[in-house]
Amino acid sequence: MLTGKSVAARLAPVLACMGLLALWQIAALALNSDSFPTALEAMRAIPSILGDKEALINILASLRRMAVGFLAAVAFSIPLGLLMGRSASVASFCNPLLMVIYPVPKAALMPIIMLWLGVGDLSKTLVIFLGVSLPVIYHSFEGAKAVEEKMLWSGAAMGLSSVERMIRIVLPASLPEILTGCRTGLVLALITMVTSEMIARQSGAGNILFNALDMGQYDTVFAMIIIIGAMGIALDVAFESMRQRLVSWSEPQFDVPLSFS
Amino acid sequence: MSARRFTIDGLIGAIPIALLIGLWQALVSFGYAPPTLLPPPGLVFERMVHQLTSGAFQQAIAATVFRLFAGFAIAVVLGVGLGLAAAASPAVNALMRPIVRVLAPLPKVALYPALLLLLGFGHESKVVLVAADALFPILLSTYYGASTVEQKLIWSAMAAGTPPRQILFKVVLPAAAPSILTGCRIGLVISCIVVFLAEMITSTDGLGHVLVTAARTFQAVDMFVPLITISLLGLILNGLLQAARSYLLRGFPEV
Amino acid sequence: MTAAGSRSEAPLERTPASKSAPAMIEIDRVSQVFRTSSRKDHLALSDISLAIEDGAFVSILGPSGCGKSTLLYIVGGFVQPTMGTAKMKGKTIAGPGPDRGPVFQEFALFPWKSVLGNVMYGLRQQGVRPAEAEAQSRALLDMVGLKGFEHFYPKELSGGMKQRVALARTLAYHPEVLLMDEPFGALDAHTRTRLQNDLLKIWERDRKTVLFVTHSVDEAVFLSDKVVMMTRSPGRVRQVVDIDLPRPRRRTELLLDPRYQKYVVNIERMFDEPDEDELRC
Repeated sequence: MLTGKSVAARLAPVLACMGLLALWQIAALALNSDSFPTALEAMRAIPSILGDKEALINILASLRRMAVGFLAAVAFSIPLGLLMGRSASVASFCNPLLMVIYPVPKAALMPIIMLWLGVGDLSKTLVIFLGVSLPVIYHSFEGAKAVEEKMLWSGAAMGLSSVERMIRIVLPASLPEILTGCRTGLVLALITMVTSEMIARQSGAGNILFNALDMGQYDTVFAMIIIIGAMGIALDVAFESMRQRLVSWSEPQFDVPLSFS
Repeated sequence: MSARRFTIDGLIGAIPIALLIGLWQALVSFGYAPPTLLPPPGLVFERMVHQLTSGAFQQAIAATVFRLFAGFAIAVVLGVGLGLAAAASPAVNALMRPIVRVLAPLPKVALYPALLLLLGFGHESKVVLVAADALFPILLSTYYGASTVEQKLIWSAMAAGTPPRQILFKVVLPAAAPSILTGCRIGLVISCIVVFLAEMITSTDGLGHVLVTAARTFQAVDMFVPLITISLLGLILNGLLQAARSYLLRGFPEV
Repeated sequence: MTAAGSRSEAPLERTPASKSAPAMIEIDRVSQVFRTSSRKDHLALSDISLAIEDGAFVSILGPSGCGKSTLLYIVGGFVQPTMGTAKMKGKTIAGPGPDRGPVFQEFALFPWKSVLGNVMYGLRQQGVRPAEAEAQSRALLDMVGLKGFEHFYPKELSGGMKQRVALARTLAYHPEVLLMDEPFGALDAHTRTRLQNDLLKIWERDRKTVLFVTHSVDEAVFLSDKVVMMTRSPGRVRQVVDIDLPRPRRRTELLLDPRYQKYVVNIERMFDEPDEDELRC
């Protein structure tokens, strides 16, 4: 199956990465500013960050909080979204509240939540949970709403109870849409994590970034940007390949992760 | 009939919001939460009204709204332009596709320190961050809408004597309008959120700055006010866009 | 080739001059190959030659997948043939133009324009002033029975009404040839009959050349002067049948006419028998 075209399609994003880095290199050389290191200088700073034990622990702790917040959000949001999609009264009960919460920047709740729950893992994880929940609820809702009524009728005729219909018909039928929501949520988890750490300035990847900025270690700043950017791309690629395997039966989707928190 | 259904839905929807405020009030009234941590809703509302009439707060709103609109406008122009170009030209498409594939999942907020170093702490860095974040949903939905325009719509216009150069603006753009406006709606909410976060991170002025200042002095009431303001701002802008959408798309099925 | 229309008893005789003119549409050894994702290319049309006279109503009849729509798109200039040429009035067709107006099964109305806006579109493209374009469009809408619906949007109309708008939109810019791609295929039987009758009435008034793609034998015989029967994959011209029935035709009268019945039965029989080409494959 490895035709010339599919190899080209796989290589294209790699080439794009290299092109963007080359562009950066040229721009930095042209500007020749202390605060704008070249791509090579920034990349040279990466090993020293990843080699620094404290920084590494910080980053791994960030990632752990992110994973916990993401999984908790998914476990909470998918059932709620599916329920909203299949029951009009649940939907009209929840929708206005969600609409009000939607434009609230979740990472901005960080100072308030820290006031209540302290600066520990709990507040940071909670913020990530909030950030991920909305898109997953929304997509599960849309997916469940679009499930064909006749499929459920056939299910009922086969003697499935309403709970069984939910698990055995609605869930798989809305899986493509749910996974689209999860993909958005995953990138959002990363963004919320970085943003909340930038705001809280306590620990984690976002904090390393801003500490370096404060201390004028510009190559570290840009190296951290590369690391966080690479995490985003790696998570997206990994999730996308899993998604394609799970729902290869469905129509291809054009949706992409939206980055907001 | 449908109007009545609408009011009933509205009433049901008001329940959780009312419950939330009730719970909030109860927590304070029964002494479970000290007012310094969770001020009663009445106090927050009072403070909100007071702030909205104060000059300093209005200036903060103005700074935020300016950045929001500037960033959003850049994202719309670039997103729609690039999306149409990618749909119209296979060469542009081949060049853009991998770049978008890389840049879309990138957490743009991580670029913010770089923007600060390059553009300074003023409007520019925040506007660029907002534009960068709002760009991709608009670009992708434009591209999707423009590349799925029904072929026979284009043929009909060509047969009626539309020159090929004009097809893009006379057929593809209006036919892709529903998709473009959906992208704009997502982009608008993102803009609201990102501008606020950027203001919190650098904290020079704007609504985000108001929140951070309040947090530093542990003024819980003043922390709620900017949050509610940005949320209201988002809802108002979303409502305006929705109104524009139902006017512009009045001919399309299922708006 | 003489179109049956010229022998009709219709009050509007065509002028003799047009009889001696070259064919309106000439399709000359046209073949169409489509590249598919698999390695094998698909031969959709094979070596088609046809001449269609000015003012003739010609149907292209065949099973689905025989490339009959593709042939129409080639005449429309929407698709370039892989081999051969299609000519209009002696000039090779290079692209779409207002001299050939399409009517699609899917209606393809502009959803962002009102009924009036859709019909005015072509006239405005031709540079007709707005007031004049509006007057002409209103007259056309009246003719297709949609007076009073000018400011409706397509989504508010039934399928039959949409197709009337699409017909008016195409007639508005006065194409010399109407290209109809299974125009009534998406309509219910009752609406379809009414639109067939109305189409004939309009056609009998101004006698435009019509190329009409359909898979309904009934429809083809009822409407046409000439029926081009096509074979399935690759599409070839199997036989051309002249329909020698008087005009104006009324469906209710025609259904009882033994000549009409004979045409329908004969064509259906021919489709039932495998032809030589198919046997050879």
